Amino acid sequence: MILKYELKKVFSKKMNRIVLIAALLAAVALSVFAIGSVRYVGEDGVGHTGLTASRNLAADRNRWAGELTGDKIAQVVSSGKEIRIQYPDDVPNEIYGKTIQSYNDIENFVIGVLTPDTVWDTSVLYQLEDEQAKNLYSIYEKNLQEMAGKYGKTPEQQRFLTEQYEKTDLPLTYEAKDSWDTIMMYVETYGMILAIVIGFLAAGIFAEEFRSRADAVYFSSRYGRTNAAKNKVMAGLLMTTIVYWAGMGILSLVSLGVMGISGFSTPYQIDQPYSIYAMTYGQYYLLAVLCGYIASLLAASVTMLIAAKMRSANVAVCVPFFLFCVMPFIGRALSAFLTFFKLTPDMLLNVIECAKNPNIFQIGNYVFRQIPCIMLLYFVISIILLPFVYRSYHRYGLKK
Amino acid sequence: MELELKNVSKEFSGVHAVNHVSFSMKKGVYGLLGVNGAGKTTLMRMLCTLIRPTGGEILWNGKNILGLGADYRNILGYLPQDFGYYPDLSIYDYMMYIASIKGIRQGAARKRTKQLLGRVGLAKYEKRKMKTLSGGMARRVGIAQAMLNNPQILVLDEPTAGLDPNERIRFRNLISELSEDRLVLLSTHIVSDVEFIANQIMLMKNGRFFYAGTTEDLVSSMEESVWHCTVPKQSVNDFVGKYLVDNVKTVPGGAELRILSKVPPTKQAVREDATLEDAFLLYFGEKAGDKDDTEI
Ligand SMILES: Nc1ncnc2c1ncn2[C@@H]1O[C@H](COP(=O)(O)OP(=O)(O)O)[C@@H](O)[C@H]1O
Ligand SMILES: [Mg+2]
Repeated sequence: MILKYELKKVFSKKMNRIVLIAALLAAVALSVFAIGSVRYVGEDGVGHTGLTASRNLAADRNRWAGELTGDKIAQVVSSGKEIRIQYPDDVPNEIYGKTIQSYNDIENFVIGVLTPDTVWDTSVLYQLEDEQAKNLYSIYEKNLQEMAGKYGKTPEQQRFLTEQYEKTDLPLTYEAKDSWDTIMMYVETYGMILAIVIGFLAAGIFAEEFRSRADAVYFSSRYGRTNAAKNKVMAGLLMTTIVYWAGMGILSLVSLGVMGISGFSTPYQIDQPYSIYAMTYGQYYLLAVLCGYIASLLAASVTMLIAAKMRSANVAVCVPFFLFCVMPFIGRALSAFLTFFKLTPDMLLNVIECAKNPNIFQIGNYVFRQIPCIMLLYFVISIILLPFVYRSYHRYGLKK
Repeated sequence: MELELKNVSKEFSGVHAVNHVSFSMKKGVYGLLGVNGAGKTTLMRMLCTLIRPTGGEILWNGKNILGLGADYRNILGYLPQDFGYYPDLSIYDYMMYIASIKGIRQGAARKRTKQLLGRVGLAKYEKRKMKTLSGGMARRVGIAQAMLNNPQILVLDEPTAGLDPNERIRFRNLISELSEDRLVLLSTHIVSDVEFIANQIMLMKNGRFFYAGTTEDLVSSMEESVWHCTVPKQSVNDFVGKYLVDNVKTVPGGAELRILSKVPPTKQAVREDATLEDAFLLYFGEKAGDKDDTEI
């Protein structure tokens, strides 16, 4: 019963309701932006955005759906070459709409494979012989081995990377993945908004007694220092879970509902051939959503602790903002020098970047990648802080 | 049933808010009387385990209340001086939340909430948000929440402060009704709050109890008598300087004074019955608060 009323306190607070409504509106607004950002060029060369653009684009690209064989690659490369010879300056829109648009992802894959760890260079596409295009996967495999050697600084790391690279099944299976690609950016942005909102609500759970001067009645009640404090922690976690998944759920349902889910099992390698994360676009999305949840958990437990210790929410509510919005700027400047800054909490909301970069760490013989590392690290920190939140309430006013 | 203060002190960086108080309380109503800053609230906060005494200990039936912890809080009801609540909860939800943290089961909590809200005259307002309540209504919810667990010890810190005269009288009656079979400790700086309902009065000043006893004992312990006399207007100031003057009332041809003194202040002075109010004036050297704050 305590838990029920503790949650009731959270969700009945006027300020909290305003913040939640704002978060809901943000979900809808971001979905609208996501949907609006997809552009489809029709066969007539006219560009379209809007509700149907994403599904039309997927339908167009899915002409190439299925196993992406060497022959298909060669076909794409030669078609691309031909068009560029015909139109050396600029490809007309109707030609783009009729042809290139449909195999753009495949061209990008070829360029990506041929330019490992170097600048993106479109011209490699036109220098590729037909035979080489057919055998792109052998070039890819050779490069993967090389990259494992280059990214891995020790034999353990090299072995680890080789193992990761072997997890991707070749040839790749293609399906248009634009809706996933698009939603990723909005998942990260909204994850940040939710972490700040959740931090705000969580701080209130442990500051409300002090703010409204209800502390005397609370702490002199039978369970104020024990069960009720435990239930406050539980309410914080439950609130985090409810708000996060409801918010992310709305964003995802609206965006994906309109854009479709084509490409759920397209390998991420189609876009990032040398990524050390062997995953599909669906998994990539789920990974980002899960990282966002951990970021929200972290925001909740840190703000609860600070609010309980300081007996006020004022500082606490600023902390998620610092962790997720200010940290990246500090981190970006310093991560070149210090590995630590590759493990800052803002990375949880930057899966897009993390997945691209071959950041690995080694302790003893054990090698691990950046994303699992920050997920575990911040999940554990979030949990470890909770007993301290409890203790701060348990001993309120009675410290010797 | 015994609550015992043993040499209890509380010091706040040099200020002895409560200074070596020893006292024992059983069933009944105890009126803790003292001017602002006397240390009443500090003492009550220690009794409610909100702060730890810097010296001495508080025992409930012989056991330290801090050691008893939740078991002690289970028999405690507290209405703080500065009664705060959750503004966006309805009265009913507020009561149910407090009931839950007092460890009362939902069914029992519902019944008890309805019953207590009826008793304090708020039954028909139970859906109203706490923030819409007047000071008096909020205070009534405050006393209702304190009673939720049917406490053996009921601590009320200035429960009538800021109420209008009618509400104050209603409140006094309510407290008197609720005081059966428990230990009620009620603090105030207004004599009339406790004059008739308290079995025992403790006078507190600068952190110490310097008098404790029944109202009658307290009044009869005064060596001074109360005198009523009429003096010319121009000599009022002389009298105020010379004597403890309880009351000045302007009348045609002069002023009527109520004076505390061992000897008659004038030849015509008439002796009157002393009241608790007079004792307060005598012991605190200042007027016993005002009968009602609203008169200030
Ligand atoms: N938290 C505190 N910190 C410092 N001084 C305090 C604190 N609480 C009370 N005091 C001081 O202790 C004295 C007694 O205050 P209090 O117990 O509130 O008196 P009362 O309730 O009788 O008006 C006052 O001098 C007050 O300033
Ligand atoms: Mg006080």
